[in-house]
Amino acid sequence: MYSTRTLSHTAIWITALLPGLVALGFLSDADFSSASSCLNTLGRLAGIWGLALLLVATMLCCRVPGFDVPFGGLTKLWKLHHRLGSLAFILLLAHPILLALGAAGISLQASAATLLSTQSAIIWGWVALLALMAFMAPTMSFFGEPKYQRWKLIHRIAGITVTFALIHTLMLNRALPGHWSTIIWGLLTLLALAAISYRWLFSLWHARQPYVVSKVEHPANNVVELSLEARERPLKYQAGQFVYLTPHDPALADGVGEEHPYTLSSSPLEKELRIAIKALGNASRALQNITVGGKVTIEGPYGAFFPAPGQPHEPELWIAGGIGISPFLARIRHYAHRQEPLDVRLVYCVQDESRLLFGDELKSLFAKVPGSRLHVHYYYRQGPLTADFLASCCPDLGVRTAYVCGPTPLMDLTERLLKQAGVGPAKIVTEEFELL
Amino acid sequence: MKKTAFAAFIAFWSSVITLLVTAALQPEVIAADVEEKRFTLDEVAQHDSVGDCWMAIMGQVYDFTDYIPQHPVPPVIITAWCGKEATEGMTTKGYGNDHSPFAYQLMDTYRIGILAVAE
Repeated sequence: MYSTRTLSHTAIWITALLPGLVALGFLSDADFSSASSCLNTLGRLAGIWGLALLLVATMLCCRVPGFDVPFGGLTKLWKLHHRLGSLAFILLLAHPILLALGAAGISLQASAATLLSTQSAIIWGWVALLALMAFMAPTMSFFGEPKYQRWKLIHRIAGITVTFALIHTLMLNRALPGHWSTIIWGLLTLLALAAISYRWLFSLWHARQPYVVSKVEHPANNVVELSLEARERPLKYQAGQFVYLTPHDPALADGVGEEHPYTLSSSPLEKELRIAIKALGNASRALQNITVGGKVTIEGPYGAFFPAPGQPHEPELWIAGGIGISPFLARIRHYAHRQEPLDVRLVYCVQDESRLLFGDELKSLFAKVPGSRLHVHYYYRQGPLTADFLASCCPDLGVRTAYVCGPTPLMDLTERLLKQAGVGPAKIVTEEFELL
Repeated sequence: MKKTAFAAFIAFWSSVITLLVTAALQPEVIAADVEEKRFTLDEVAQHDSVGDCWMAIMGQVYDFTDYIPQHPVPPVIITAWCGKEATEGMTTKGYGNDHSPFAYQLMDTYRIGILAVAE
């Protein structure tokens, strides 16, 4: 039986590859009659596939809460978006080059004329391609890492490239017969448009829920845990999911009106939302000083880190690093709240005692939940996490599903250790925030 | 993926520059200094079959006999224009879309003369 995740990823790839496959069906012997026509045909196919992948990548950026779950969470969905977008970029770069090389079969002048034509369709093609390069350069860090907020703004208006590319395609219209072209491009455009409208209209005016800060706690000097009270309808979520939080408190030094993703650390049964935030950037540093009564908006929930409720319980191994404890804290709080047992080993990796976040609470929660056990790994004393340490905490490693959340180096190390210990990739679940 | 995309980005501009520079440096073929052949529409009209297909397009006369098997659409669409003034077919493809610059360049290789204006 295929998993929902495989099915949803496959469905997306089929949608993206469909227009090119239809075009393949309309090719004739003439399209392969010489090296020149082969290059021309490849050039046209690269264009069709490139645009289709770009449209589907645009569709996936919509961030509708719940839509990401079958894909394995928003981070997984955005990895897919990134893969589709990158492939589209490469194909669209190849498209004019292949066409120009195809025309070189006639003469070099013909080849140059293919690139530098005054025909309006070709000009639109160039507008689209140059715009795509301008928008993709920061994403691909061609000229260094961009600032997060600036990148986000640039990337948000990148959708306009698709419009230019569509104008170009509809003016030329060589590879797909008339009605096919209308159906296929029309359908993909509608889907992409729906996604963009969600992001620009619905999400801004409706999906963001107003909350107010009701309590501020500091589990460590650079970490704050906010309790948030809903002013309208409260969010429904699962333990381990995350939200986008936008502060609207003008007293904050930075990040006012900027949305950032944070994992919820509360049990879904609690009346209020809790979010633990570590000072990692300008916005999260400013949030350390937010006060009770501060206004924020919340959009979400996103992510599918833990199995959905109702699925059979399998023994779990949690590996957390630093603030990566948040989703695990939420889950153990949830089980303690429900007074239910949970077969879990937590390996919490921290630098030293002062950075053991929620240490006392974790100890009492793990004492309360039957079947759960807590192990702390101190880097300054024990060095990097080792296979032996994992085996000593968790002799039955092979039967557990591992959930890993923390800084990238720890995640990479843990994944390597787990794979060496014979844990299959399907039993290693990770949550990373780099892409957000 | 980022590295591949960056490599593709560099490769793209290298190819564009190479193509344009070599095209600019190549000496243009000087047309032979002979009087071009002129054909009237009546003469063009005599070549109106799949096996012998001439067309007049934008004041030029073309012999597309060898090209018809290579044209991307079914032959019937293009052969309908054999022996005729086919500028409309070239610029609209029958549904309002112009042919590509590639097609125009390709067309040039089949040119046999210019259309004589009726006196």
